[in-house]
Amino acid sequence: MLKSFREIAEAAKKVSAKKLVVSSVKKTDVELLSEAAGAGFIIPLMIGDGKGIESMIDGTPLAGLGHEIVDEKDSERALSKAMRFVREGRADILMQGAVTHQTFMDAVLDAKSGLRKGKVVSYNSVFQLMKQGKLILVTDTFINNNPTIAEKQLILENAFRLADILGIDVPKVAVLAAIEQINLHIPSTLDAAILSKMSERKQFGRVVVEGPLDIDCALSQVAAARKGLRSVVSGNVDIYLVPEIDTGHLLAESLVFFGRIETAGAVMGMANPVIVNLPFVSDASRVVEIALAVLLCGKGGNNG
Amino acid sequence: MIRSLNDFSRIAREKGPKKLAVLAPEDEEFMRALKRSWQMGYVEPVLIGNAERMGQVADKVEFDISRFEKIIGEDRQAIADLGINLLFTGKLAIASKGQIPTSYIYRSIIREEGKARSGMTVSVISFWEIPGLDQLVAFTDTGVNISPDFKTKAEILKNAVFVYRLLGYPKPKIAILSGQREIGGTLISYRDYELLREAAASGEFGDCEILDATSFTEIFLGGRGRLTDHGSVHMERMPHILLFPCLDAGNIICKLDFFLDVTRCSLVATSRGPVCIPARSDFNDNIVQQLAMCVVVADRMKGEVK
Repeated sequence: MLKSFREIAEAAKKVSAKKLVVSSVKKTDVELLSEAAGAGFIIPLMIGDGKGIESMIDGTPLAGLGHEIVDEKDSERALSKAMRFVREGRADILMQGAVTHQTFMDAVLDAKSGLRKGKVVSYNSVFQLMKQGKLILVTDTFINNNPTIAEKQLILENAFRLADILGIDVPKVAVLAAIEQINLHIPSTLDAAILSKMSERKQFGRVVVEGPLDIDCALSQVAAARKGLRSVVSGNVDIYLVPEIDTGHLLAESLVFFGRIETAGAVMGMANPVIVNLPFVSDASRVVEIALAVLLCGKGGNNG
Repeated sequence: MIRSLNDFSRIAREKGPKKLAVLAPEDEEFMRALKRSWQMGYVEPVLIGNAERMGQVADKVEFDISRFEKIIGEDRQAIADLGINLLFTGKLAIASKGQIPTSYIYRSIIREEGKARSGMTVSVISFWEIPGLDQLVAFTDTGVNISPDFKTKAEILKNAVFVYRLLGYPKPKIAILSGQREIGGTLISYRDYELLREAAASGEFGDCEILDATSFTEIFLGGRGRLTDHGSVHMERMPHILLFPCLDAGNIICKLDFFLDVTRCSLVATSRGPVCIPARSDFNDNIVQQLAMCVVVADRMKGEVK
């Protein structure tokens, strides 16, 4: 089981370098690619203004490492070309460059020309808990606004695939809600109860899904016991499933800014790994995102 | 100006004891908190509940409750109704939940607010004390309104602004939070932010500042900023009040104190005084702190009934 970002990086080093394609490259991308290529994770394929990219690379470690440049000045065509390279197998991983989230996600999620594979594409924030010596996933923290119960099931299944890659044997899931009791007026508690029951009936395989759980019962066995709740999930959660995006996005940010916890993200449900550039992922953790994408390729290039 | 939870404790010792209606104190952890709060001079309890059970837990924590007024009751809703009525009729300064479902207490408060024609929406305000930050941060609503619409959010915000001003801040800074990103269209929570900004600009909340930010990234890094490392985070930009888009978000994030190095302290703001509503998982230290906060808020609400 991988327990830290360092272990993710070490595991990625054992996998052969993958080709990562990025369009509309900016200076900070070059620095990131330089570090990731230097670690042996990737061979960058950069699409954009060829001369501009060359001048950005000049003098960086990337100049002396394997890389490819494709000249395409139009950003829209550059992104289309990047996705085509992935679809055709010329590249393994797609990374967001200097295009907006909306442009990038619209392109990768496009039914015809995009890269989606699963019915639901979801974003997993992986957090490194140093004191506990483990990694946890929080999902969905970026893509789905108000997932239905059917979509939540698929978001969970996406998370299980990522948990498998991280070596989490029997993932323990907290389906979060405001309270740990089922309240017919709080939809998140109903969804949580159904998912929990599905898990009890082994509909997800070797996992334990507990819900509804409020965050105190999820985080603390003692707190849960005081509320009369006993579960193997309490105090030992691997995956937190959030009710909707307001909660998910703000929770991920809270852990980063109030907890100063490093996070790296993984988009699941795609035919190939896709790396989104979120502002609350630190520079150091962006390299980990690339390492994680490499591991996702290592599983047969199918992370959906 | 109150800048820390310790300020509440210090002032509660000066301003106490306040008369406190305790609704079914039938749990050891809560009774221990009550004993300590009484010993520190914060409160003088009036105990409402089952005599035998109250006596048993008091014995367990070695707290002589024979000196306090007791009102014997069994029905949970009747206990909640009585305690909250004592608060609203001004006979007591504070009420506190013991072993009663919180929803019963909210029901009682809503009834009394209706009778008082206050028009007040019931909401919970949870304060965080964050090490290194020279202010408390109020999270709301963390306990009552499941999916508040714009009008309800405006009422929730008024409650928080009222309480925060009691701490000595005439012009609190407010962030109206949303999960809005560049993708996924416009969320209802973001539309509410826009409407609340307009309402604030027209003076609906009095003197206050609504931040031009709906996420923690925007607050701490600026609109187009990104996290290079944790040294780049501007914690000094922390607002005084965080208005959450829904109950799930507010409750889940405010209770991260079980995980993060922060301390949480909550109360219900009513038009007649504070109600202490410790979570069933709270420990006695935390409950004592919450009672101290209620003592100070009750003291400062005198003559400032909403």
